Amino acid sequence: MEELEQVFNGIVKQYSERLYWHVRRMVGSHEDADDLLQEIFLKIWTALPSFRGEAQLYTWVWRIATNETLNFLRKEKVRALLRFSSADELAAQRVMADPYFNGTDAEREMAKAVARLPEKQRQVFIMRWWDELSYEEISAITGTSVGALKASYHIAQEKIKLNLSDAEVSK
Amino acid sequence: MTRKNPISVPDGYFQDLQVRLSQIPSQEEAAPRGIRRLAPYVAYAASLAVLATVGSFVFRQTAVKEDNGWDYVSYLALSLDPDGLVELKEAEEPTEDDIRSFLLASNVSVEQLAMLDDEKTY
Repeated sequence: MEELEQVFNGIVKQYSERLYWHVRRMVGSHEDADDLLQEIFLKIWTALPSFRGEAQLYTWVWRIATNETLNFLRKEKVRALLRFSSADELAAQRVMADPYFNGTDAEREMAKAVARLPEKQRQVFIMRWWDELSYEEISAITGTSVGALKASYHIAQEKIKLNLSDAEVSK
Repeated sequence: MTRKNPISVPDGYFQDLQVRLSQIPSQEEAAPRGIRRLAPYVAYAASLAVLATVGSFVFRQTAVKEDNGWDYVSYLALSLDPDGLVELKEAEEPTEDDIRSFLLASNVSVEQLAMLDDEKTY
């Protein structure tokens, strides 16, 4: 048990900050990211005894984090539907209302455009652009082929550019 | 597109986060996740069981009382006069004499009574 706790504390030390930023960009609010991170690490702790080392610890931890985040976003989608609203719009509104956002207007527009992306595209874009993971690393985490990831990233980038130019025009 | 992080966190957040996250194993040891997750459902099931038990007790109590009451009346009636019950049943249908004496007692005149008798013959 003590050995497991040591491994767990090592994971906390090494990955908590990085995973926080990933989750925060995915969900769009500090409070949700904080709650979700607690859930993610609880899951990591519960699953740690069954970690067999087939995957790298790094990949395994990221996989749990990304799966939990996608589950959270799916639930958000249902909650948004029940409120007759769209999850993308709610995410964009969260970016607008984020008290910890201290970027320029252009950066806010970009954050909004990222928030409007479909979950999987958003995930690939954030992992590549912000988390600076290689396609191979993302592929190992998500189980998606490198080719599909590249296509997904390209589409996401195009959508963001389009959104940004629309925002520029509407000014 | 530039890569500058435009979002921040509250002061000292990451230190606090690491402390909170490292407490997960000890919290889990005190109350494993499964039990904590099941706790509200167990409480719900327990309250339903209590309601069902109380409900069935109350129902049985009232039902037994009614049965006992009915049995008691029947038993009393039969034990007092078993034949009397039969007579009472037969006596429920009034005879013509009963009707006649009732009408006379209700100040109906003899003529009116005779008229009734005439109507009967027609």
